[in-house]
Amino acid sequence: MIYLLYLFIFGFLLTGIIGLFASWIDRKLTARIQYRVGPPLLQPLNDILKLLGKETLIPFGAAQYTFLAAPLIGLVSVIVVSTVLWVNNMNPQQTFVGDLIVVVYLLLVPSLSVIIGGFASGNPLASLGASREMKLILSYELPFILAILVPVIQSDLSIRLGNIMMTQAQNGIIAFSWSGGLALIIAVLCMQAKLALVPFDMPEAETEIAHGVLIEYSGTLLAVYRLTKHMLLFALPFFIIMLYLGGVRGNGLHLLYGTLEYVGLVALVSVIRNTNPRLRMDQVMRFFWGPMTILATIALLLALGGY
Amino acid sequence: MNRQELLQTLRDRFPDEILGVFEKSPKRVYIQIQPDAIVRLAQYLFKEMRARFNIASGVDGRNQMEILYHFTVEEMNLIISLRVILPKTKLEIASLTSVFTAAQWIEREIYELLGINFVGHPKLKRLLLPEDWPEGVHPLRKDYQEWDPTAIRDRGV
Amino acid sequence: MGILDDAFLKSLWVFHLATGSCNNCDIEILDCLTPRHDIERFGMLLTGSIKHADVLLVTGAVNRQCIPRIKRIYEQMPQPRLVVAIGECALSRGVFIHSYNCPLPLDHVIPVDVYIPGCPPRPEAIIAGLIKLIEQRKTQTGQAKV
Repeated sequence: MIYLLYLFIFGFLLTGIIGLFASWIDRKLTARIQYRVGPPLLQPLNDILKLLGKETLIPFGAAQYTFLAAPLIGLVSVIVVSTVLWVNNMNPQQTFVGDLIVVVYLLLVPSLSVIIGGFASGNPLASLGASREMKLILSYELPFILAILVPVIQSDLSIRLGNIMMTQAQNGIIAFSWSGGLALIIAVLCMQAKLALVPFDMPEAETEIAHGVLIEYSGTLLAVYRLTKHMLLFALPFFIIMLYLGGVRGNGLHLLYGTLEYVGLVALVSVIRNTNPRLRMDQVMRFFWGPMTILATIALLLALGGY
Repeated sequence: MNRQELLQTLRDRFPDEILGVFEKSPKRVYIQIQPDAIVRLAQYLFKEMRARFNIASGVDGRNQMEILYHFTVEEMNLIISLRVILPKTKLEIASLTSVFTAAQWIEREIYELLGINFVGHPKLKRLLLPEDWPEGVHPLRKDYQEWDPTAIRDRGV
Repeated sequence: MGILDDAFLKSLWVFHLATGSCNNCDIEILDCLTPRHDIERFGMLLTGSIKHADVLLVTGAVNRQCIPRIKRIYEQMPQPRLVVAIGECALSRGVFIHSYNCPLPLDHVIPVDVYIPGCPPRPEAIIAGLIKLIEQRKTQTGQAKV
């Protein structure tokens, strides 16, 4: 019974609130960089409430049940992965062996739900966006997993997220070592691709293919997709903080440090978003399978060597 | 070669087809020619003089229709407009698509808006007007009447 | 419900439709999204798909070819939806009132809520018109559901 409470309070409510706040930070920072006034504080909440009040239109040629179920798959997986991350952060001994693999797997499912939704729409532009998202997943998963292997190696080959955090509590933060710092940079760039933000946002290109994957979604389903994206904007930096920066400990000054680290990561994502153009698909694949994989392999070798 | 030499060459080459030359300004010359000489003159201007075909414009006058073909000679900074006058009883002229294919679309547009038939055009059908426009009604003629009973032409005030 | 109506008026997403215009009004609408006259501070975003939009901004004198397409786009907008006509050509066809290819004014094709005159209207006028739309909608839903 306690797990249902964890799912609801930590997985849904707290993650949703912090995710909406992070999305506001992103929009306000974007507006400030472009020298204009941005939206007020409650704007992402107003967007989602407005979308809940619009009617939902299902296109004629769409696969109906898949069309309706696709957003829910993404939302449920983000709720579950946020619960696992919160519980890991609060008491690292309460989790099970192999939850790192479960987290990495569950973080892939929102992208899969976007792909399924795009193909179920029955629109050629949506299929184009969905196929681009598939190619994007193929390109960034390899360096991402190689970068995740660095903390695993540094904490004596344990695939338990709690063990990784306890190793950092004893031996110092992984990001301050050579391999850890390199892996942190690679992980931040892969996070940008996982969130489908510029320069890697060609699945959802706004004016190029008329919103790509989400072109046929309206009303409540679109609200679910946007909420999934906001919650992912909370879950991914939190995961990176737990892997490389030692997690957020709850006593006094460490809480402030943790909050600053989280806001700093969101601000970094936003600044990268605003200073780069959108890349083409072949450029992205060449980028992730070329320099990024080489750097990740170097980081892995450094970690094996003990640096 | 400058402007005067070009005009003298044209006058010598086509003595009976050119009916008149009007020099409007340092950059523009209007040459009035016979309707059945247009293909030969266009071929001469395009191939030998290496002039560029810009556009053609059709005008509905009171008793006749005229078409102006605009050519640009870039070395001399000159625009030559060939003027052709067609009587309203026989609105036909040879098409220029045999000389250059750039004339295809503009001749389709002049055909659908003014009703001039271009003989020898490979695909003379409407270009810009919607599909439910009635046949034989040409909008830019001076005697065009409103054929649509559902159109609203007052401002409502 | 009150909270959904409030949230609707605080985050209007616009979609821009040009029906045979000279593109001056389109440039002025684009000016509204630039840093000088910023409409994102009111929560308004420009969307790429009509199914995400709340407000349809229409410019241009309505062509014969555009009439069935405007109707199809209007039907694809999810309710509640609003239409704003921008520029003289969208209000009453302007100088093209006797043109052979513009048979109907815009409000005989789709219902229009706010008219913004001008040729082209300044971005300040467009923003004032959008604020008037929000105020009008607030008094409307205060009295009766439209």
